Amino acid sequence: MILCVDGDADAREATRRALADAGFQTAGSGTVDGALDVLADGGVDCVVTEHNLPDGTGLELIRTARDHAPDAACILFTETPLDDIDTAAFGDTVAEYLHRGSDTAHDDLVGLVEHSLAFLSQTAYPLPDDEDARLAALDRYAVDAEGLRDALDRLTDLAGELFGVATATVGLLDAHEEEFVACHGSVFDTLERDATVCTYAILDDDVTVVENVQDDPRFADNDTLREAELRFYAGAPLVTPDGHRIGVFCLHDDEPGTFSERDRELLQSFAAEAMDQFELRRRAAEDTATTTPAAGSGGDGGE
Amino acid sequence: MTAVSDDDYTFDGLPVDDIRPGTTVLVAGPTHAGTRSLALRMLAGPHGEGAIVVTTNQSADRVVEDCQRAGVSVFEDQAAIIDCVSDDEPSVPARLLTVAGPTDLTGIGMRFSDLHRSFADSDVDRVRTGLYSVSTLLTFSDLKTVSRFVHTLVGRIDSVDGFGVLFVDPTNHDEREVATLAQFCAGRIDVRDDGDGPELRTTGLPSHDRDWRRFDPSE
Repeated sequence: MILCVDGDADAREATRRALADAGFQTAGSGTVDGALDVLADGGVDCVVTEHNLPDGTGLELIRTARDHAPDAACILFTETPLDDIDTAAFGDTVAEYLHRGSDTAHDDLVGLVEHSLAFLSQTAYPLPDDEDARLAALDRYAVDAEGLRDALDRLTDLAGELFGVATATVGLLDAHEEEFVACHGSVFDTLERDATVCTYAILDDDVTVVENVQDDPRFADNDTLREAELRFYAGAPLVTPDGHRIGVFCLHDDEPGTFSERDRELLQSFAAEAMDQFELRRRAAEDTATTTPAAGSGGDGGE
Repeated sequence: MTAVSDDDYTFDGLPVDDIRPGTTVLVAGPTHAGTRSLALRMLAGPHGEGAIVVTTNQSADRVVEDCQRAGVSVFEDQAAIIDCVSDDEPSVPARLLTVAGPTDLTGIGMRFSDLHRSFADSDVDRVRTGLYSVSTLLTFSDLKTVSRFVHTLVGRIDSVDGFGVLFVDPTNHDEREVATLAQFCAGRIDVRDDGDGPELRTTGLPSHDRDWRRFDPSE
């Protein structure tokens, strides 16, 4: 959903109409506070905002919006010239700017929104090259992750004991979050992708090892990981038969550590075993779907 | 192999193969091994192409001198400089936009977006962008902020079929920072100098081989 924010109702509705005509679902707000209420409800992929708002500025809104929707594309769509906007006070906010003065402004906006959403180009973390296909694959496997919890919990229990770490988990990474479907040791249910180390572990097929998370520049400022006292990380991606990395089998510990070549092989075996469980479950669900219409017709097909 | 297209960006005098529109490359190597000079020379294109230079650690007039030395034509209607250094406005033969400083990534990114629009309005639809350097940004802002900035910039370059070159001197940075930023870019060019002169190696770009190739930074 695209949230359009403008104190001028006519201008706001014109923007919404242009985006709706291009096939987007939109919501509207005339104020920063109203926009934050919409953001708090979730589901916002993109914020298009005027700069001058009755109760603040567009950049103030975008800065706070990032707390609710860190991956959202944010666009300042305004007639206010850049030289009249105090960007320096919001230097770390980072957003797109599109001047609204031209005849083609709405067309330009639609193009910018389409591209920003297609490529998720404002995330603060790198995306796998096959992100779209990866998410499509995830949809096929995540149908009944809950039904796999017992089997995966046994695997994470085994891994936790074998490697002697505080936590072992299986997590699936969707467009914005990692959902932990199995856990040995208490940790999170979900994490935003910009907060989880697994975001980096799905970038290649090898095992990712971070010996000390707090010393790694990618995570040194990550409050979530610091509060969880996560120090050591090792993660092996769950790779589908057609090569998409839909999740990670990972280990955490509260002390920095090292990981041998043999450890890496074993962790990859755990990841492969977890992936096999997902594959079996997916095939079983497919078989059920294809045989269900025949159920009740009698016989076992043994003719 | 990817077929070479007439639309590809070309790099005369450099051992760098043509590059598809929409691509940004990270050029990584020591400043004094000719890396910055290489990254500047990659902005030099045929007549009619526009150029946007973002300078984070040298004033616009110094950068214009460096560009001219590197063979980049700097004309008022086809070149723009986003200057994060100068307090005053140096006189340069290019459109000049000043930003409060290298910590104002929002200001740099928004001016960049606005420049692309004004180039498009002037029918300049092929634009090369150079950022010199990412190292300054990493010195003053955290990796997460620089990552979002680079991702947004790379996305914009892709959306307008431009070409981008981001220069980083990895000497003073953790390799994981440089590797993370490289992941936002389609390709990476590493530069080294073993004493016999600088060499470059391209990775990540289809149809580019990965051999080390010698280049002359002074040409």
